[in-house]
Amino acid sequence: MEITTTDLGLVARVANLSKSYGRGDTAVTALDDVSVGIRPHEFTAVMGPSGSGKSTLMHIMAGLDSPSGGRVWLGDTEITTLGDARLTELRRRRVGFVFQSFNLVPTLDVLGNILLPFELDGRRPSPDDRLRIDGLVDSLGLRERLRHRPHELSGGQQQRVAIVRALGTRPDLVFADEPTGNLDSRSGREVLGLLRSACRDYGQSIAMVTHDPVAASYADRIVFLADGRVVEDRGPSSAAEISDYMLGMEGAA
Amino acid sequence: MTGSKGIAAARLSAARQHAPSILVAALSAAFGVSLLQITGALAAVIAADDLTGSSSMVALVLAMLGFVFIAIAVYVGAVVTSNTFATIVAGRTRTIALLRLVGASARSRRRAIAREGLAVGVVGSVLGALLGTGVSAALLAVAVAGGHAPALPYDLAPPVVVLPIIAVILTTWLASWVGSRRVLDVSPLQALSGSTELRHEELRGRRGRNAAALALLVLGALLLAAGIVIGSLNPIGILPAVLGGMLSFSGLVLGAGLVMPPALRAVGRILGSRLFGGGAAARLAALNAVRYPERSTRTTIGLVIGVGLVSMFAVAAATYRQVLGSAFDDPEMAAQLDTVITTTVVIFSALLGFSALIAAVGLVNSLSLSVLQRTRELGLLRALGFTAAQLRRMIAVESAQLTAAAVLVGLAVGIFYGWAGAQSLLSSMPGAPAFILPVVPWQLVLGTAVAAALLTLAATVVPSRSATRVSPVRALATE
Repeated sequence: MEITTTDLGLVARVANLSKSYGRGDTAVTALDDVSVGIRPHEFTAVMGPSGSGKSTLMHIMAGLDSPSGGRVWLGDTEITTLGDARLTELRRRRVGFVFQSFNLVPTLDVLGNILLPFELDGRRPSPDDRLRIDGLVDSLGLRERLRHRPHELSGGQQQRVAIVRALGTRPDLVFADEPTGNLDSRSGREVLGLLRSACRDYGQSIAMVTHDPVAASYADRIVFLADGRVVEDRGPSSAAEISDYMLGMEGAA
Repeated sequence: MTGSKGIAAARLSAARQHAPSILVAALSAAFGVSLLQITGALAAVIAADDLTGSSSMVALVLAMLGFVFIAIAVYVGAVVTSNTFATIVAGRTRTIALLRLVGASARSRRRAIAREGLAVGVVGSVLGALLGTGVSAALLAVAVAGGHAPALPYDLAPPVVVLPIIAVILTTWLASWVGSRRVLDVSPLQALSGSTELRHEELRGRRGRNAAALALLVLGALLLAAGIVIGSLNPIGILPAVLGGMLSFSGLVLGAGLVMPPALRAVGRILGSRLFGGGAAARLAALNAVRYPERSTRTTIGLVIGVGLVSMFAVAAATYRQVLGSAFDDPEMAAQLDTVITTTVVIFSALLGFSALIAAVGLVNSLSLSVLQRTRELGLLRALGFTAAQLRRMIAVESAQLTAAAVLVGLAVGIFYGWAGAQSLLSSMPGAPAFILPVVPWQLVLGTAVAAALLTLAATVVPSRSATRVSPVRALATE
């Protein structure tokens, strides 16, 4: 009997993960023997310079991309070998996404976007879901905006809608890919605060990819990647400490 | 990528983008050239066997009729091409903005696109002329071999065939100019801005156009009504009715932006809720079909024109046959009349159906292009849990919605005009009822339904293949 992800006290993990693009001389290694787990009810930041493989790692953990080698689990489900249809269903039910931009379907209004994962799954939100979504909508100040379309919202508002949608289905894990990359610093802080409180107040597990030390300083744990490998795994740190570490990485390289 | 390779690749992708417009221009030119060559040959056959001395008159009438059909095909082709160019421009917004950013003027960009349009027109109509001549030669050879036509020295290059060739080149050029109007709205800043969808199509500057459309509609409707009233006393009523029909139909085409979006919405509600059991795929499809009302209007109006004209002739002829058939006692004469009418309807339907074919090419292309331009949105949907099957269904419903709306409006318009024609021409006849009910032949309904289904399928295959082939990660990374 294999040890499960839950036995390890994790909500998602990868073991000996590798990913390369292309073949032969032009092959590029994005991930090289990465083993890492995401702990439940924690806000984890995955950091690294451009090309470090952090986005690839997230895409594979979220079932958006397939590995070249190694194994991937979401909860106790091994997703390494799942087909497209099963992966799609898994993303729909057990993963929430917040991307850097273009998070919302332009033809749907705010409410339509929030309820889209339920609709895709062919079910209605339960009374519990409704209550939770209502609470989120109110606390994020989106009540007046429910009938607005994405192009009528500011960047910060669009990200808040994406967060409500990601939290709405109570997924095992929310993946946030540079969620503040397109925002001014005030809206950015607001979005980061929201993610942190989703983790603290609702116990939501969150994995965030970022290259911004300020964003990473909101996390409970920071995993550093460089050249496709994990080079550091540490607890909460200030933006200055993170900056220093990254500058050190640059210097060492 | 090195410079010359990059330019070659850009040229290739531009050529690929223009392939459908070249096809449309080639079809229009082939149709025009071939039709004139064949009517010319018919005139030669009649002249060789001229007993009545009226052959030059017959030739003139044939040529005039030919020009009407060619004009319709070329017009539909131009609408299709201007839509294709508008869609291509929308897809190139970021590149155009980048060129604007480094100093290109909007006018020079628009002229560049119009030059592409001119090239498309020249290439398309030359190819089409060759193709059309080949078809005419083959048809004549078959007719002569089968003994249906005398072996005369047919002239396949009468000077008149230059007219459709030039008309296609000029209308394609003009269509690319009209379709590239949005280039002027692209600001250099759009190269820098990030996430929000660009609103490249607003219905603006439409007030003058809509007023003209309304004026034509009202004037046409009044003439049509006058024709029907006069027709109850004298068959001469058909003349004002025909004029009224032409005016009001032009008004309808001009004001299509007011008619088609509501029709699309209505069809979308039916398709979304009943046929496909609702669900996210059907709902998003319904919204996509009316996302850019202007684009959807131009995508569908060609088909409305084609289906409308075909069904007008079919309904008018079937109604005519029923009214006259009941007036004849002699079964032999009735059968003869039947043959004449059926032949006429078949020939007219084939000639008008060609315009519908050009419109269909446009619809397939337009849907493919707009799905390609939504790559990133499709990636988002896949990430959020849209299965590949749901994506395919969404595209199929969107395609069904465009086709069904166009065919239904076309049928309704055609049945009305067919009836109006029959009513104004026949109601004064002894034995005819005061109010003639339109006869809608089942072949027409069945034919359009089958054609619509085939078209929906054709318009679904290519875009859904490209939409499901892209991995969500790649799609999300596209600009």
